[in-house]
Amino acid sequence: MCVLCGELIMNVHWTDQPLHDSEYRRKTRIVAGEGQRTRRRMRIKRVAVANKILAYYGLKLQDWNGSKYVLSDKKGVSNVVNSLGDMWQTASKMCHRTLDPLDPAFLQTLEKTHG
Amino acid sequence: MDNRIAITIVTGFLGSGKTTVLARVLKDERFKNTAAIINEFGEAGLDHRLIRRIEERTRLLSGGCICCNMRDDLINELKEILNEYERGEIPLDRVVIETTGLADPAPILFSILMDPLLTNRYFVANIVCCLDAANGELHLKNNPESLKQIAVADTIIITKTDLVEKETVAFMRERLNRLNPAAKVFQAANGKINPEIIFGDGQNRMEKISRRENFSEMKHADDIHSMSIKFYDALDWTSFGLWMSMLLYAHGEKMLRIKGMVDVGEEGPIVINGVQHIIHPPHHLEDWNGEERNSQIVFIMKGLDPQRVIASLIAFQNILGSAPVIEEVTSNPY
Repeated sequence: MCVLCGELIMNVHWTDQPLHDSEYRRKTRIVAGEGQRTRRRMRIKRVAVANKILAYYGLKLQDWNGSKYVLSDKKGVSNVVNSLGDMWQTASKMCHRTLDPLDPAFLQTLEKTHG
Repeated sequence: MDNRIAITIVTGFLGSGKTTVLARVLKDERFKNTAAIINEFGEAGLDHRLIRRIEERTRLLSGGCICCNMRDDLINELKEILNEYERGEIPLDRVVIETTGLADPAPILFSILMDPLLTNRYFVANIVCCLDAANGELHLKNNPESLKQIAVADTIIITKTDLVEKETVAFMRERLNRLNPAAKVFQAANGKINPEIIFGDGQNRMEKISRRENFSEMKHADDIHSMSIKFYDALDWTSFGLWMSMLLYAHGEKMLRIKGMVDVGEEGPIVINGVQHIIHPPHHLEDWNGEERNSQIVFIMKGLDPQRVIASLIAFQNILGSAPVIEEVTSNPY
């Protein structure tokens, strides 16, 4: 459960799954906050990379307190998203089109800016 | 390994010898504490202590695609097994699920991974698909269910090899390799097979595929294609996760299977394994097991041009950290 809003999160998106999960499950003692630094670093990185993609659609992603993301467009509309699973869906609702990584026009722009 | 219970899923078309194979391996003393869940239509007698029959019941989720359905019957049965085990009523080392011949394995995976209790108590270790050496080719030609079962499998067992010529089996193996390059193919006569093949950890491993230089032309746009690609530099895991989740969001239903080992610059690779929208929790291996250190990913897609996926990966190369190299692209031989 998210302590901030009381929303029940039943599933962890695969991109948020800890990569050393099986190692972690074997442990008998877990230190609170262990691995937080890696997790936060990964989130910051994810936001930076996502913004390279989202720029084409006029959207922007921000990390919110290391627990959620805020997705906003240029007209001032903002939405809270939990994971990448939600993000693509919310993003396509906000810009009224499917965000397609195979779309040639999108790829062309991406290559121009980050090629 | 970890504190979760391993599940093996055995699929295969009607009459492909699933039950015969299972009956054999369950006789093995080492695997006697295996709970077997079978469907109610199974006719061949399975003589096993921990057997359960269930009636297939699917809950359709609104707005979901075909793969994202919940198998309520299975969820309940797996929870019941867990309850009995925790009350000390039954011994339990692993679970094996035998599906009906026409079942799509994707909802089974979805149910186990999406149920908040089950996902923390069980993990899918291996998906085995049985294929009859005599009639298998015919099934694959005529039944899309059969093709899907092969695409989703980690381990393929060609059964009844005693009924056909050696060449037929060899030819079949070659075609199966083209359809699903990520799966390991074994053969069994009379259901004789090493139980460790069935109860192994196929989901979390992938053998490197040797280069075959096999580029076949597109037969039909709606066809099934499999593509194997390599990356010679380490990939950025965060960026790869973004690209892949975006791809699955837009084209998940067409991606029958994704399986691969991704080099992220750490000691061991990350094993990635997915069926349509369903992605297993990525699994980090300790080392490369003596194999060459480069990422290899297999995509099996239906109705999607492999060249478009490649074009996308090329455009993303600076974000991902490495450019893709195509190993082979094949179209459905059936």
